[in-house]
Amino acid sequence: MADANAQDRATEIQRVTGAEPVVHEDLTVKWFLLSSVAYFFIVGIIAIIIAAKFVWPELLSTVAMFTYGRMRPLHVNGMLFGWLLACDMGLIFYLVPRLCGVKIWSEKLGLATAALWNVIVLGAVVSLLMGWTSGLEYAELPLPLDVLVVVAWIMFGVNIFMTIATRRYQQMYVSIWYIMGTILWTAFVYLTGNFATLFATGVNQANLNWMYVHNAVGLIFTPAGLALAYYFIPRSSNLPLHSHKLSMIGFWSLAFVYVWTGAHHMLHGPISQWLQTIAIAFSVMLIIPVWAVVFNLFSTIKGHWHEMGENVPLKFLMSGVVFYLLTCFQGPMHSLRAVNAIVSKTDWIPGHAHMAVLGAFSFFAIAGTYYILPRIFRTPLHSQPLAQWSYWFFMSGGLGFFVTLWLGGFWQGWQWNNPAIPFIDTVIALGPVWLVRFFSGILMFAGIVCFAYNVLATALGEKKALEA
Amino acid sequence: MLQKADTNFGFAVGASLLIFFIGGILTTVVPPLIDKTWAKPFSNSDPAKGITGELKPYTEQELKGRAIYIREGCTYCHTQQTRTILADTKRSGWRGVDSPVSTPDEFVYDYPHLFGTKRTGPDLSRVGGKYDMQWHRTHFRNPRDLVPGSVMPPFPWIAANEEEFQAMVAYLQTLGRAKNWRPDGDFEK
Repeated sequence: MADANAQDRATEIQRVTGAEPVVHEDLTVKWFLLSSVAYFFIVGIIAIIIAAKFVWPELLSTVAMFTYGRMRPLHVNGMLFGWLLACDMGLIFYLVPRLCGVKIWSEKLGLATAALWNVIVLGAVVSLLMGWTSGLEYAELPLPLDVLVVVAWIMFGVNIFMTIATRRYQQMYVSIWYIMGTILWTAFVYLTGNFATLFATGVNQANLNWMYVHNAVGLIFTPAGLALAYYFIPRSSNLPLHSHKLSMIGFWSLAFVYVWTGAHHMLHGPISQWLQTIAIAFSVMLIIPVWAVVFNLFSTIKGHWHEMGENVPLKFLMSGVVFYLLTCFQGPMHSLRAVNAIVSKTDWIPGHAHMAVLGAFSFFAIAGTYYILPRIFRTPLHSQPLAQWSYWFFMSGGLGFFVTLWLGGFWQGWQWNNPAIPFIDTVIALGPVWLVRFFSGILMFAGIVCFAYNVLATALGEKKALEA
Repeated sequence: MLQKADTNFGFAVGASLLIFFIGGILTTVVPPLIDKTWAKPFSNSDPAKGITGELKPYTEQELKGRAIYIREGCTYCHTQQTRTILADTKRSGWRGVDSPVSTPDEFVYDYPHLFGTKRTGPDLSRVGGKYDMQWHRTHFRNPRDLVPGSVMPPFPWIAANEEEFQAMVAYLQTLGRAKNWRPDGDFEK
């Protein structure tokens, strides 16, 4: 029973044999999903505006609220917490009860969490546009909102942990470990980045800040995203997971290795050299958890790659795994001092970061959303062709974005390392790169539109199906 | 051993926290205890030991300027660290003199820190004293008037608000000044 399919079959058997069937209401799932998709769309518009500002710096520049310095943190926080984390939470509310064979511990608490999460995201929009920010990257939200995030996270954690504690199947599938890891580690990572930083200054504070920044990706979005990949890849392909043992190696090495790497954000910078070296050593070790996971998922699908053609969730999932492999190969390579001296602080970095957050983890979340939509709304997906279009828009826009920024960033890094070139010339040289990035952003936004419309139409389709 | 985590809820929780805390504590709590320069403000009056100077706490006006820097998100495009890379010391340098690299003891009063991760515009760790008031006023009003090809947004509301503008420039002029790195102290006001 170590794979997702087996547990679902067990539910089937219970149903056939007359054991009390579990009916999932999925109200919390729906609320999280619909609001996260709405933020995906809204923040997508902001993303395009800030991409345009690189090409046309005067755009919307007469209004303080719409300057780049205020919209960028809104873009980052909106995408991370408004879209991706909210969508991950919705999907977790879907898969935990199913993997445990019980109903969610408290649907009411779940709905309250969803409501509070929306209050936080809307609060973030207002405060960041007004310039009320803590000034720490990824942790910009002002203190009152940080407190609300902690409250919401406790509500979420209690609900999920109580569901797991009352599970019907003794064995916990790998996705469950990752979800537990996400909830526990996020709590401490978030406290470090948003509260411990209050009591530190200078380099000490920066060290805590980078521990948070790095682990927001490594110990929040990675385990949440992998929980989805481990569940939805076997489910949408109807294949058993290749190796249980390998998934254990991946999980426990992730738990150990990730947290050490924060200082690699300040390589060559004013932070102790020995700490930089530790961060580099552990960054390279990240290859272990990543390749364990990727090998496991590739082997699961081995011989069935052709099924990606018609299967939209599987398409997003396996592309996400490829991007995960690439982004997590780049990461250890950037941390080597020689490479870092070229790519650090350049436009390469947003190319890398977007491949992780959009290419890997958002692809997993989109796949999960496509997979569960017909199941929670009990109606077929509004449009398969539109779903295919959304994939190709995300894929072409994403690749355009990543590849141009890598090339541009690498080029920029070489120029910076030649002090004979005036800085402004290295800015002017990037003009064409930023223009291509802007058009890639338009393609990605087209993907968001197709995806969001499909979600909305399917959700409204449920109403029609009920009325008919 | 870890197979126990498959079926035992409490064990899974305990083990994943324990393993996480080893690295968590060793990389956040321990380093400042080992490297004392993180908390000790830069101060040196003996030229034989290298560059002289002293890191002073920010004045009220400078803090006001710093708050504007944070409010407008300047840190998203401007780093504040001259790294141990030759080109960085050249680019942070001025009039033919290379800048010293940034060290932790120069940032002890920074709250929040503004090291930055992205260099869309030039690094500002040694910008203090390079440009005068008039230059900054024109530059905030429209950066492209002074630097054709710049993609920095204009900040006319800072240039037009005398109090904010004075505070902003006062802050910028402190950057990198703990170390007296100019040969004749040829800083602009």
